[in-house]
Amino acid sequence: MLEVAGLSAGYSGQDVVHGVDLTVADGEAVTVIGSNGAGKTTLFKAVCGLLAPSAGRVAFDGSDITAMPAHRIARLGLAYVPAERHLFPQMSVRENLALGAFPRSPDRGTLDSVLALFPQLGERLTQHAGTMSGGEQQMLAVGRALMSRPRLLMLDEPTTGLSPKLAQNAYDALATLHDDGTTLLVAEQQVPLALKLADRGYVVENGRVELEGTTDMLERNPEVRRAYLGVA
Amino acid sequence: MTDAHGEDLAREANGSGFWMRSVAPIAATAAALALVPLWLGESRLLMGLAIAGLLFAAYAIAFNIIFGSTNQLFLCVGALAGIGGYATGLLTDRAGLPMPVGILAAAAAAGLVGGFISWVAVSRSLGVIFTGIVTLAFSLAFGNLLLGQRDLTGGETGLVIEAGTGTFLRQLVPPYYMFLALVVLYLVVYRVLHGSHIGWAFRAVRDDEITAELAGVNVARYRIYAGLIGSVMLGLAGALYAHNEGYIGPSTFGFGHVDVRVLVMLAFGGIGTLLGPVLGAVVFTILDEVLVGFGQLREVVYGALVVVLFLGFRRGFLPAVTSGFRRAGTWRSDDAPDRDESEMRS
Amino acid sequence: MTAVILDGIVLGLQFGLLGVGLTLVYGLGGVLNLAHGQLAVVAAVVVTLVSDTGTAAGVAVAAGLLAAGVLGLLLDSTLMQPVYRQRGESRVLLGLLLTLGVAFMIDGFLIWRYPTRGLSLNIGGGAIPILGVRMRSGSLLASAISVVAGIGLVAFFRGSKLGRAVRSVIQDEEGARLVGVDPAAARRLIFVLSGVLAGLVAVTRSMTSPVTVTAGIDFTILALIVTVVGGLGSVLGAFLAGILLGIVNTVSSFYIGTYVTTIMLLLAAVLTIVFRPTGLLGRRT
Repeated sequence: MLEVAGLSAGYSGQDVVHGVDLTVADGEAVTVIGSNGAGKTTLFKAVCGLLAPSAGRVAFDGSDITAMPAHRIARLGLAYVPAERHLFPQMSVRENLALGAFPRSPDRGTLDSVLALFPQLGERLTQHAGTMSGGEQQMLAVGRALMSRPRLLMLDEPTTGLSPKLAQNAYDALATLHDDGTTLLVAEQQVPLALKLADRGYVVENGRVELEGTTDMLERNPEVRRAYLGVA
Repeated sequence: MTDAHGEDLAREANGSGFWMRSVAPIAATAAALALVPLWLGESRLLMGLAIAGLLFAAYAIAFNIIFGSTNQLFLCVGALAGIGGYATGLLTDRAGLPMPVGILAAAAAAGLVGGFISWVAVSRSLGVIFTGIVTLAFSLAFGNLLLGQRDLTGGETGLVIEAGTGTFLRQLVPPYYMFLALVVLYLVVYRVLHGSHIGWAFRAVRDDEITAELAGVNVARYRIYAGLIGSVMLGLAGALYAHNEGYIGPSTFGFGHVDVRVLVMLAFGGIGTLLGPVLGAVVFTILDEVLVGFGQLREVVYGALVVVLFLGFRRGFLPAVTSGFRRAGTWRSDDAPDRDESEMRS
Repeated sequence: MTAVILDGIVLGLQFGLLGVGLTLVYGLGGVLNLAHGQLAVVAAVVVTLVSDTGTAAGVAVAAGLLAAGVLGLLLDSTLMQPVYRQRGESRVLLGLLLTLGVAFMIDGFLIWRYPTRGLSLNIGGGAIPILGVRMRSGSLLASAISVVAGIGLVAFFRGSKLGRAVRSVIQDEEGARLVGVDPAAARRLIFVLSGVLAGLVAVTRSMTSPVTVTAGIDFTILALIVTVVGGLGSVLGAFLAGILLGIVNTVSSFYIGTYVTTIMLLLAAVLTIVFRPTGLLGRRT
């Protein structure tokens, strides 16, 4: 579904990501792990159109989206939940969710399933997004992305600012989505959670893919264990 | 920022650099402009125009110090000059003060107002847009004040200024040389400011305010200095003009008459350059006269020039042309603050 | 006194409408459109030109509004593009300077080509007493139109998909892009809308006093003051500020004088910027 080939991208002429290759197949859950500053966010922004790549190609469902602006990519069915969430602070939960479906009108069925996944949102439909707690905002951000019934859901560090319990809840929700068939691509610093959820993973450091494989393989890899799982 | 500017200052300490970059251009310009009366000296009309040209050059240099150096968008150039003009007119004619006192007091008054505006802008961290609006509002309020206080200012009909009649100020050619001396003085002030540590601070502030703060530059203080000095210059020029012309009115110092022209002159001649304001003033004074038959269409031309010049050339048309389009600072669209190589030349 | 205040409200509603267009364009694109008043004057001129050919008033008004909207479209599609490519202070500065240049271009052209033009819409009918004050039907119609326009705007922004999409761009542009909203399209829509609103103000204003070809700069200044006092980017703020300033305007004009009134309005803007930059209802930027 998603094919990234030789992607390089960066800021002010300086590349942060160098020649990354990555694929995500229909129905898979893939994770991109790496430490802070490894280039995961830059990579994701380049894929979803918020940042123009300096080299390489991105294809989504066969169409070339390399030079496409973010809003058009979003309409093609690729929903991205950034680490900063970018919710609409003076709008209610209901309005934020409704906008998730843009340019279509919100569909009752989709809304119901989102609220089933995140019941706390249902209790706060009229609350302004800006007044919600970190955990609630994260749920809203994911919920908003789901309103468009995306073919691919990309999340950048969904556990940012969440307590361990909430982080686990978030991943439980993602697991449910995965089971229901949603294709996921998740960038994560909290490696154990990500490896548990995903089928395959990429290890990115210094803007390059250092390692890739099934999550089983990665979990057993000694370097991964040392660097990310705190095992000597 | 440090390397290039450091070299810049070092080159100035070295004798030959100093001559080439400061004295020579100013002297050459002064010499060229000094010849003008030889050729226009018979005509009252043309000499009046030439003086107006020098006046605008003075305005433009002052604005260059305020905006070009520290990015304070003072859309009240005319009003500050107007404070100078009206203050001296009232102090000399009404209050009977001797002319030199009136002129200096007027310049000081303008300086105080301008410095105050800078201080307010700095203490409240007003960005470009708010500074622009505040100064524009001040400009308009000043205009309204002039119109409203008819008893004091003569309102719409303006003020006739007696002080100065009979002196050299009302003759044909001597005031031209006085204004030329003023322009040369202002150029020297600009050069000295930029060559000194104050100039370094100005450049730091303009290039990257945050880095400047971190480097220990008291951005606030330098902005206020620039505002103060530039405003004194404007007030002085306005005051001298008042005594020279013998008549001033609200339109003499209005936004449409002064500020728009100064913006075009700097857009053309180059913001942040030494001679840019003078070159811009010369070209546009001539253009102004050429276009006089067009009436209102002249406004269209000026508007179009503002659009075209600022669109194409961030730091001015002439710098772009003289240093090659690639090196001059055309508007760049990335976030990172950029360093114009053309700034080295000032 | 009641008469003066009612007149102030009538004027204030128009001030509000004038400010809304400007504040929206700023809220969406960070551009302070100093040519805003010119859009209003263009509408007025077109209405008079079309009326001259004998067409019905309603059609002429529609033509005027259309012209202003089209001009807005033109400006956004051409001149504003390089401005939007800039970020932060560069964008603000370039936007200010370019729109200033355009304002002078339009102002100069209109005054040169139609020096004596002025729009004056005569609404027949006698005076109607409101709260014991006899109000001219022109004033009442103008107010009614302003109120309806205001309600329409609120309904659009709060109740429609498109309106919500526009608000999303104001609140978080990156978030808007992520949900599929095209910020450039939103900006263009709002620029056109601001033109139409400006034209509407010219039309309603002309019901009570003539709108001359030289009024452009005054309109822009008023819009600017209302926008600043109301809070950059706030529609409700613009209306609130408009009404407040309208009342201040008429009361001050009546009891003191025109020049002082203008100074007071300008002072209101300056004081707002210095002491409460977010204005009445603006958000912290």
